[in-house]
Amino acid sequence: MTNEFDMILDKCIDRLSRGESLDKCLADYPEHKAQLEPLLKAMTETATAYSFVPSAEAKRSARIKLYAEFERRRQPSFWQRMIQPRVVWVSAAAVVLLVAVSLFALRPALWPAIPTTTIPSASTDGNFIFMVSDDVNAIEDFSTVDVTIEKVWLLHTGDQEQWVEFTPTTQEFNLASLPGDATQVLWQGNVPLGEYTRVVIEVSQVTGVLKATGETIEIKLPSDKLQVKIPFNVGADSVTSFTFDLTVVNTGNAQDGAKYLLKPQAGESGSSQTPITNEQTTPDKDKGQGEPRKQP
Amino acid sequence: MASKVPRNTNKEIRDNEARLVALYEEYYDKIARYVYIHIGDKSESEDIASEVFLKALKSIKTYRDTGLPMQAWLYKIAHNLVVDHLRKVSRIKTVPIETVEIIDNQDPFNDVNRKLEMEKVGAAMIQLTEEQQEVLRLRFFGGLTSKEAADILNKSDGAVREMQRAALEKLRQLLNVNRQ
Repeated sequence: MTNEFDMILDKCIDRLSRGESLDKCLADYPEHKAQLEPLLKAMTETATAYSFVPSAEAKRSARIKLYAEFERRRQPSFWQRMIQPRVVWVSAAAVVLLVAVSLFALRPALWPAIPTTTIPSASTDGNFIFMVSDDVNAIEDFSTVDVTIEKVWLLHTGDQEQWVEFTPTTQEFNLASLPGDATQVLWQGNVPLGEYTRVVIEVSQVTGVLKATGETIEIKLPSDKLQVKIPFNVGADSVTSFTFDLTVVNTGNAQDGAKYLLKPQAGESGSSQTPITNEQTTPDKDKGQGEPRKQP
Repeated sequence: MASKVPRNTNKEIRDNEARLVALYEEYYDKIARYVYIHIGDKSESEDIASEVFLKALKSIKTYRDTGLPMQAWLYKIAHNLVVDHLRKVSRIKTVPIETVEIIDNQDPFNDVNRKLEMEKVGAAMIQLTEEQQEVLRLRFFGGLTSKEAADILNKSDGAVREMQRAALEKLRQLLNVNRQ
């Protein structure tokens, strides 16, 4: 009973607060009128005594402050803008692009700082022989590894550094056919005499045929230009043979499967000198039987 | 096993900010009245009501943790600001009648009657328990429902309705409102 009366009283208080009249509310509960009326009168007397309507000016001023703060919070701060995923991705892409431009696009532009001398033609009695070989790694997974080399540069030192550039006579070769000490001559010609410190090759394509499946796959390159830093000398009274050693490594794992990469092998690359004699012959370019390598 | 309340997402925070701003028109006057019944100073009440909304907006990230309806949460903030204010001015928690401003100051007779009425009601109010006073403030001046008042006071709806009836019974006696 008390609980029911409390509910009715509560409803009437809500109705009076909304502006309904006391009589209307009492009329809806005639059986409780005697008990309700004095309580509701006490309520209205209390509420009326402290009735207060804030000024329109105060309310307007408060509204302006609230909306200003609301708008201020809608504007992202500098750090919020920085950490937004879209901005992060755009920034990361910009950094990658910048690095890529620096590494690839700008590098040829930087090279002219070191002058380049192009050797126009090969010569079978030239003072320099450029050869390639392979080092044992994952090469045994392949029946063939066809490599295409576009250009070769040698860094000539002295009073002024210069690049010595030539285009290999043999640009395509099968690296899998050059196991162990076997080499293949790609070029012989005359280069300026003196000291050299670096050899760079530009590789345009590498494909391999897997022994196990017969599948032809592309072998990745860490860069289109591979280099080794090995000093060697080209003298007037000898023929210098330089062997650029390449190897194929498997960078994959058990989960993702095999992934092959062609890398220069500086430890196995190097030069050797053969004195020039009347019987001097050049190595057989097609059979891969060059000079033995001298370890640097 | 303890459960961890997930953090508000940015969208949730923005939605709550928009809800808060939408409540302003309806609740500014009510909150100002609720503050006024505590401190008895119209100008201060208006300023505190304004501060309630600003403070709520700045603390919106913590809103969900309270588990309260948003309007009830606003009254909690208002209550805390009232307590801070009273602490600052070292006033007791009843309306200082002598300093109350009278709305209709064009009519000295009405002014006197109004002051007397406020004095009478104020004297009656302080005879109630602190919880009963707060129920009446939230219901009559703050314009909250008994459910919303219950949320703020951590009581059941029924307990609030019971306190409300008991408070009105006592006020009726003190104000000498006779039964018909």
